Formats: sequence, structure tokens, C-alpha cells
Amino acid sequence: MDEQARTILQRIIRKIPNKKLETTLRAWDHLSSEQLQSLDYAQPKWLFLENLISRCEENRLSLKDVTKLEMVFHIDNPNQGKWHACQLFQAEDDALSVNFIQFREQFIAHLEEVIRHVSVRTKKLEDGAVWIRIAWGDNFSKPNHLKPTYVVHYLQTPYVFILNLMPKHKSYLYQALVLSTKHVSIKEAHLSSKSLSAIRDILMRQYQQVFPTNQERTLKERNASNPKIEKEHADCAERRHQMACEAFGDGVLPKLETAVYRLETRYRGNSNNTLNDKDELFRGVVKFSSSNLLESFRHCVSAGMAEGPVTPLLSSITQKGRNYFVINDKVTGAASQTPAHKT
Amino acid sequence: MALLTPYRKVPELNTATLLLVENEEQFQSRLADAIVQREKDSTVHVRLARKLPLPVENRETRPHIDLVVFIVNLLSERSLQAMENSLNHLGSDYFLGKLCFVVTDARRGAVTQERLLSVRRLAASHRCPVICAEHQTEDGVTMAAMRLLTILKVSAGLSSMSTTALYLSTLTRCTVPSDFDED
Repeated sequence: MDEQARTILQRIIRKIPNKKLETTLRAWDHLSSEQLQSLDYAQPKWLFLENLISRCEENRLSLKDVTKLEMVFHIDNPNQGKWHACQLFQAEDDALSVNFIQFREQFIAHLEEVIRHVSVRTKKLEDGAVWIRIAWGDNFSKPNHLKPTYVVHYLQTPYVFILNLMPKHKSYLYQALVLSTKHVSIKEAHLSSKSLSAIRDILMRQYQQVFPTNQERTLKERNASNPKIEKEHADCAERRHQMACEAFGDGVLPKLETAVYRLETRYRGNSNNTLNDKDELFRGVVKFSSSNLLESFRHCVSAGMAEGPVTPLLSSITQKGRNYFVINDKVTGAASQTPAHKT
Repeated sequence: MALLTPYRKVPELNTATLLLVENEEQFQSRLADAIVQREKDSTVHVRLARKLPLPVENRETRPHIDLVVFIVNLLSERSLQAMENSLNHLGSDYFLGKLCFVVTDARRGAVTQERLLSVRRLAASHRCPVICAEHQTEDGVTMAAMRLLTILKVSAGLSSMSTTALYLSTLTRCTVPSDFDED
């Protein structure tokens, strides 16, 4: 096994917790059961790695097999970096009939046309997701397996999720995706997060949505609490909660970490005269970050900390499925202000 | 009509009603649970509100309120301001022994000490008691619940002690040492 393979193996083994080592290696399916049983999973990792490398060399495993293990690891633990979402536009008539085999052939063919040395591995999961691992080389050097790009695409949907793509390879990847899925163009969806399932749920609307309704469920029905305790502001609270859920959803929400608003507007304060008169744009960036951003926004609104109705700047995170916004002066005055946050 | 007054409705037999007003709406629900669970001899109802004035829609269904408690979180300036605003909507009859202040987080730094002093001055000027509660442990919540229950039962006339709310408040009212007291 060469140096690259050893490095990749070392990286993977370090990241997997001890309890999951055996199941991951079993899922890899490149070592026999006797070999798996002969390994001691409670050893310190560096010792375990030595034993593992010797087993792999017994089986004459190569870099290709190690990259398969890396892919198995990433599919089980997708949250290893920041995922970015892209959307395909203008599907051609036969775009819906593209199946996995067709897609894979076309994708690999298009990539290999533009870059001579590229290593692609694909896998289709039961939920319809197609995982692609790409190691990039260029026309002169071999593919670099230490910095692979991962792409997840759900066939028959226009959504693609990308991890670890370098800017110089962007155009090649986009072109290959567009041609192999039979669309005309691809654009960035301005949605990124550490959690793949979060951005997938937001774009494909798989969280629990709440729609405006005329029926009012009273708090008394929903919380079966002590009948001797009554809330004076129950109606108010219920209305606020309904508003919050309509904007952000009910139940468990997808885990986003940040929302970034880039302001390219003119300064509109009333106190500072020097800033007011300038014609040039007052550039600023407003960044919200949290361990679960949507949950915090929903709580802010339902607790009355943020005034309702929910400003479209915040609710468009879920409604439009983005968390990076650029606000220009061309829109009406209300939308070009920062979101109202009154304490 | 914006003021809350105690004598609009006839009280029920063997029942006491408590109104907890808190801007953050966090401590009040736990306190309410603790109070309702502790009292076995008579019926205690608790109403939770965020601020005064109370919504007009509930005026008909709202029972006679025996004790009004303002919960102030000393870590937040807004909590103190909200309490002072709500105080303006309380009828003057409540200040004769039917009002109590509960403060939380009284030992957390210098800012809370200043706010505690202003709450105590306010309470002293109205001749009302101030209870310092510890809201993060079960024991603290239970202790605060027990003390509130004692005052509530006197206000509602359910207590075995033969005393009135006004007399009790002269014993429990907050006092603040004068500013000129250097020692």
C-alpha cells in the first residue's frame, strides 16, 4: 500500500469512534471475517492502525479499496465539513427519465473529457441519493486522493449538494452535472450548512410545515397541564406561536448554523449626518449564528422577543431555502432595513 | 377601566387565587406547579400573566384575586422596567397587604445588587414584602412556593393564624436602611 493510501486510512481510523470501527470495516467488505475477528478494537488507535495495515497488505488492498472505505465512512457520517447546495434549472424533456446508470456513464464521460486524470466513484443509496466521490488531478499529475470532493444528487430532483470543491474545479463539475442530468444550467442555491440532512430537508420541504388556518386551537387543548393554573395571555401566546410556526415550521427543525445578510444599501439613520450624505454604499454584513438557528428564531418570535408578523427577511430562510442574502437598495424601504430585533 | 382591583368579585369558599406576573414567563410556571402541588387543604388557583393590564377578554371569567406577585429577574433591566410599568395598573387596594415581590438571581454580581436595592426601595415605599428566591434548584422553588403560600393564605382569609393581610404586611414589609447611614 502506498503512502497516500496509508495516510487516508490513518485519517479515517482516527475519526471513527472505537465503537463503530467494527461495523464500518464490516460494511467495507474487503477483509474476511477471520481477519476482522483477529483485530483488537480496544487498542490505542495507532496500534490498531498498524495491525489493520498489515491485514490490508495480506489482502493486497490498494488505494482504490481505501477510497471505498472513505466513502463508506462519509456516507455514514456526512457532517464532515460545510455542504453547499446547488440547483439545476431548465430541465429538458427527457430529464426525468435519466436513471442511475445513464447518469453515471454520462457524468464520468464528461469529466474525463476535460480532465485526463480524475478518479470518480459513485454509489446509489436506497433513499434515492447518489453519492459521488471525485479525486482531482490535472492533465499532468495523478489524482490527489487526499482532497476529494463529495457530491450528493437526488435523481429526478434538481438539487445537488457539494462538499470540498475547490474553485478551480467548479466549472468542470458544474458542466458535467448539467450535461449528465439533461438540464441547461446550474446555479448556487446560497444555502450551506454543516449538516447535509438539514439543507436537504429545507430544500425538499421535508420538515413539518404549518399552513395558515382559520381554526384556532387553544393552548388549553394542547397543553394538558394542571387545570388550576391558567394563563392570562393564552390567546396572545397562541397567536404568536402560530405565527412562528408558520414562518419556520413545527416540531424538530433542520439544523442550520448561520444566516448571513450582506447589505449593499445606503445609510438611512437620522442622527449621523456625515454618513447620511454619502452617495456611496454603506456595506455591512449581518450574521446570525447559533447551534440551531431556526429553533432560536422560532423561539424569539413565539416568546414575543421579535415583533410579528415575521419579517420576510427571516421567513425567507425557510420559504426560499437560502441562508445567504444580498440586500440592495432597489427594493422598497422596508426590505432594505436590517431585521427588526427589539429586546 | 385599566386598574386591577380586588373587590370586584365575591371570593369563593375555601379558595385562594394567586396572580404571578413575570416578564420572562419562565419561573412562574414552575412556581405555579410547586404551589398547586403543595396545598392540600384548600383549593389554590394560579393565574400566569406577562404584564398588567390584563386582557379585557378575560374579565368576566377571571375570579377574585387574593394576592398579586411580581417576579423580577435581577439579571435583566427589562424585567425591572416591565414590573414598574405594570405597577401603575394595579388598584390601590392591592397595596394594603395583597402585593408581594419575588426577585431571582440576587447574588449574581454588582449590577444585581443595585437592582435589588431599587426593588427594595420600591417595596419599602409601598410597604410590601420582598422574597429572594432561588429558581435553579427544586428546593429553591419549593421554598419560594411555601413562603408565597403562607402570605396567600392570610390574604385569602384561610390561615389558621388570626391575622389580616394588612397586619401581616406591616410585619413582613421590606425596610431599607437610610442612605445617610454610613455604618
